[in-house]
Amino acid sequence: MAAQEDKKDNKKNNHKETNWRNVKGGDFSTWALIWRMIKLAAGYWRGCLRVVFIQLVLLFFLVTTFGGLGSGVKYIQHMTGEDKDKSFVVESIIGGWEWSPDDTWVPMMVLGVICSVVILAAVLHAMARYLEVVWQAGLVQKIVVRLRSDVYNRLQRLSFRFFDSSDSGSLLNRVTTDVQSVRLFVDGVIVELIKLVLALGVFIYVMVGIHPKLTLVCMATVPLLAISSIVFSRLVKPAYKESRVLHDVIVNRLTENLLGKRVVKAFAQEEAEKKKFDEANETFRKQRQWIFWRTSTMIPLMEFFALGNMLMLLTYGGYLYAEGDIEVDGIIVFFLLLRQITEYIFGLFQITDTIQRSLTGSARVFEVLDTEIDIESPAGGGVVEERLKGDIAFKDVKFSYLEGEGVLKGVNLHVEAETCVAILGATGSGKTTLLSLVPRFYDPDAGEVFVDGVRLQEYDLDCLRRNVGLVFQESFLFSTTVWGNIAFGNPKASREKITKAAKIACAHDFIMDLPKGYDTIIGENGMTLSGGQRQRLAIARAVLLEPAILLLDDPTAAIDPETEQEILEAMDQAMLGRTTLVIAHRLSTLRRADRVIVLEDGKIVEEGTHEELMASSGHYRKAAELQIADARSLALLGIEDGGSGQ
Amino acid sequence: MSQASQGKINNLSLTHVEKRKDAKQKPLDMKLMKRLFGYTSPYRKKCNLLIVMTLLRSFMKPGMVFWMAYVLNKLSMTGDSSWAWTGGIVFFALMVFRGVLFHFRKRWADELGEAVVYDLRKQIFAHLQDLTMSYFDKTKVGWIISRVNSDTENLRRGIQESFFVTIVMGGQMLFAAIAMLFISPKMFLLLLPLALVLIGITYFFRTRLSSLWRSVQDSFSRVTATLAESIAGIRITQGFVRQDVNAEIFSDLVSDHATYHLQAERMAGIYFPMLNLNSQLFRALLVMVGGYMIFEGGGTNISEVLLFIFLSDQFFAPIDAIGRQYNTALTAMAGAERVFNLLDREPDFVDADGALKIGDIKGDVEFRNLDFSYIEDKPVLKKISFKVSAGQTVALVGHTGSGKTTTISLVSKFYLPTAGELFIDGHEIRAIDSASLHEQMGIVLQNNFLFKGSVMENIRSARPEASDEEVMKSAKDLDVLDLIQGMSDGFETQVGEGGGNLSLGQRQIVCFARAMLADPKIMVLDEATSSVDSMTERRIQVALEKLLEGRTSFVVAHRLSTIKDADLVLVFSEGEIVERGTHEELLVQRGTYAGLYRQFAVAGEV
Repeated sequence: MAAQEDKKDNKKNNHKETNWRNVKGGDFSTWALIWRMIKLAAGYWRGCLRVVFIQLVLLFFLVTTFGGLGSGVKYIQHMTGEDKDKSFVVESIIGGWEWSPDDTWVPMMVLGVICSVVILAAVLHAMARYLEVVWQAGLVQKIVVRLRSDVYNRLQRLSFRFFDSSDSGSLLNRVTTDVQSVRLFVDGVIVELIKLVLALGVFIYVMVGIHPKLTLVCMATVPLLAISSIVFSRLVKPAYKESRVLHDVIVNRLTENLLGKRVVKAFAQEEAEKKKFDEANETFRKQRQWIFWRTSTMIPLMEFFALGNMLMLLTYGGYLYAEGDIEVDGIIVFFLLLRQITEYIFGLFQITDTIQRSLTGSARVFEVLDTEIDIESPAGGGVVEERLKGDIAFKDVKFSYLEGEGVLKGVNLHVEAETCVAILGATGSGKTTLLSLVPRFYDPDAGEVFVDGVRLQEYDLDCLRRNVGLVFQESFLFSTTVWGNIAFGNPKASREKITKAAKIACAHDFIMDLPKGYDTIIGENGMTLSGGQRQRLAIARAVLLEPAILLLDDPTAAIDPETEQEILEAMDQAMLGRTTLVIAHRLSTLRRADRVIVLEDGKIVEEGTHEELMASSGHYRKAAELQIADARSLALLGIEDGGSGQ
Repeated sequence: MSQASQGKINNLSLTHVEKRKDAKQKPLDMKLMKRLFGYTSPYRKKCNLLIVMTLLRSFMKPGMVFWMAYVLNKLSMTGDSSWAWTGGIVFFALMVFRGVLFHFRKRWADELGEAVVYDLRKQIFAHLQDLTMSYFDKTKVGWIISRVNSDTENLRRGIQESFFVTIVMGGQMLFAAIAMLFISPKMFLLLLPLALVLIGITYFFRTRLSSLWRSVQDSFSRVTATLAESIAGIRITQGFVRQDVNAEIFSDLVSDHATYHLQAERMAGIYFPMLNLNSQLFRALLVMVGGYMIFEGGGTNISEVLLFIFLSDQFFAPIDAIGRQYNTALTAMAGAERVFNLLDREPDFVDADGALKIGDIKGDVEFRNLDFSYIEDKPVLKKISFKVSAGQTVALVGHTGSGKTTTISLVSKFYLPTAGELFIDGHEIRAIDSASLHEQMGIVLQNNFLFKGSVMENIRSARPEASDEEVMKSAKDLDVLDLIQGMSDGFETQVGEGGGNLSLGQRQIVCFARAMLADPKIMVLDEATSSVDSMTERRIQVALEKLLEGRTSFVVAHRLSTIKDADLVLVFSEGEIVERGTHEELLVQRGTYAGLYRQFAVAGEV
């Protein structure tokens, strides 16, 4: 049951994703992606080269320490052996040069020289490692910072259509995790691959230099290691993916239970909820057991194969040692190198996984970067007006979100400057869409919108939007100070201006009553504002810009009718001297407008003043009657004739 | 990262990241550890066996290295190559044994960790069902989710890794030490000071590194918080032309995060090479000292030097590994403390032993001198008294915060009265079994919360055993069958998280049907404030009338029609009932209610 539910859900999400892809067009073939990332890496070639270079340096020092140690032991053996009077030769394992200590030196002096070389090489190796770590980190951060800023900037400028069709969790991931996948290709695939191949090359070169046959035998277990590592990743990776999904089921069950706590308690569903949660918990555990079985079989197996080279060294190397075919320093170098090699080989296998991971993530990043910004200022700069008058005209405007499903079907409307038009209509009739066209959140499919007689597309986009103030149904406030929220559109606004805007929006008094006044951080320490307070802040935010046009999208929708009064007053003040389009359901708001239009199914079906519309018997009157006090109640109140006849 | 740039970020930022109140790490606390390990007691046998396995395994690694050195020594001494074969066969056997040990050690440790976490999750969830509403009013949902989401994960790691890996590593170190001490105490003495230095280095860097990584995480949470709000508020940002300012803030935050990152990497870049340097240094000194001892005529021989070279890593490597596990353990401790805090949290009230299981009730409700406060000394309800007979409808009217919602929550027994009494069918509410009361009640809340799943499942959640026919009948009785069937997939329409996919009106109708299915004697309803379009509005009114018919109902009313039809209207102001009566009676009184009514019925004129 649970699994089924999730599948359904996944399908839905996928659907969303593909849907969006279809709109934006942005499928990448694997090779196109790889090529693109190689080009990206090429932009950082200096950084990459530096890391590769230092890798070579540190390999050299590493091999030198191992060789030096071997020579040291060999020298001791030489001096305790039978032919200690023969001269001793130190052969370098890289470069092929030799060094013989002077015969006059005492043994400890020779040993001292050898060990000093070892220590010096070890110190230099450590220093090179430091540089490697820091340079690589620097490279990574450089790429990440750049990409994150780019993706963020792009996101901010994408049109509303884009945001309508993508969910916020996925967008968040694009900037956080997916960006990491792109840089992973640079440092985790390209650079890492070069480094590993270099290291393995050097190690094998050294070992072959000592004893080619022994090298071959010791490397014989590598194919086994390769196979087991591939099997492991095939077998376990998908299971981990599934495990994460199952874990999400657990968390979702909990989240829903917490969010719907009152409903759960009210219907006495605690036991049923426990059962549901336990089921999810159990499913997760069973799947984990399955994973444990596999990992605990595969990982020891891989360790087993990795130890294989030690077995070979002991058996065949031991045999050669006994036969005098290899000397003690050779055995020591082999022992030390083989342990390093195993690590590097595992690293090599991991790269295949890394490529896979980075490809999926980076496709998602490039999708964002490639998405066209379809709403922009006209090329070559648009009309810039410091302050518009605010005369709005819709001419035969048609609009649809999805092809074939018209939302606006030919709207004609003229709103004179500094007047107020209210819009009434059912859900889905196109009210909000109509409003969204004014600041060009969307462009109409057909027809034109004019402000002050100029087509919207001819304006500089920023200039147009600065002239439009917005208040939504449920206002989004940022978790920053009251100052910051009101000054959102103009962060440089003076405190006086902000206070003035707050006063216009009837918000000043309640702000002063907040724990820290204007410095109160919204949402902190569970400090919440009531719906009415939030809306007044939103009105202040819109008013601060002194816009010529004010768009109010049903600002009283989420507010108790008893509390509505607070906002109505703020709205009255905010509307003064501006062209206002307001969506409303409540009579209290509708009556404030100079004119009301009724939208139905994307068309204007009624238009007129409140009184005119009440006189006709259309939708408006029907809607109004639901809210109007009946004659008897009014009589009891002492008001002779209410609503209808006015 | 300088203080100055920090300040800049806070001033401009879109978001203000709250100072972390919960510590990420906690010192090891014996009591806490004991309690945590108490959770392994149902698996005592497995746990003990596991410890044995772990000890055996810790012996294997140095043992095998020892064997290698031993065989090489024999080879060099005797020159008999048959030793190579013997050595190889024994080594192979050891490899197999080590693999099998590893398998069980890993599987059992993983299973044990998962079992403990499984039990904890189950216990947490069950405990959450017992806690009362006041807890959930005060606690953020995200906080609770983190307990299940990340803390249990930390605990798992604490149990299955920290504990057992520490044993393996400690054992390995010990065995290597014993072997070396046994072979040559003098050369072992050379090792000790270096080990101490290494422990010092590990302690120094590990503590710094873990605090640096925490700063990296903190700076990253600033990035994500800002990003999340940027996305959620994108319409505002574009509408108010804030893109450039935001871009600058974000770019600062990202660079800030990168700076912390580099700082941590730099520290790691010193630490890890130093570990390696230490081993090399030891080996070089070993060759010197060993050579000296040999040249001076004894005390050791070449094979012993070889053995020390091979074994030294077995001794040094665990120091860093244990240091890393120590940090994991500290994180697990902090998680354990938070989880136990949650589990130790007592519900504000529990039903008294032998609480009355009320069967079918009539639905008489009486409030008698009832006081209530969420926080001491801040009364929300003061001396509320009223009486409702079975089948009557009470409308509660008043400003936000006047106590309406609290009143209906008390009827639902989400909270207990602070003073005074509340009777249902003559039984005091404190003496009634909560579940049996809830079975007699239907509740519809303002936000119309729906679960993820189909409409059918959502309605059925009121009575899980109800058949499809019964679900449909409840919709039919409300006269909304056509509305539900008219949704995209009818009763099978999938509801998104928190009711997504459905319009406000549709959500409300599903909630009504859900309450109808429960067929309650007492109905508690907080009307939604948002108006829907006029067609739906009318249907909702009709459905509401049917829903309330013949039930004792408490309605926080926003619709005029609901108020007018009510048998009793209670007007609340600052926690008191200031007026009571029917709609018409109250209008005649020309008091608060008449004022409110005037305001919202004829708002345009006044």
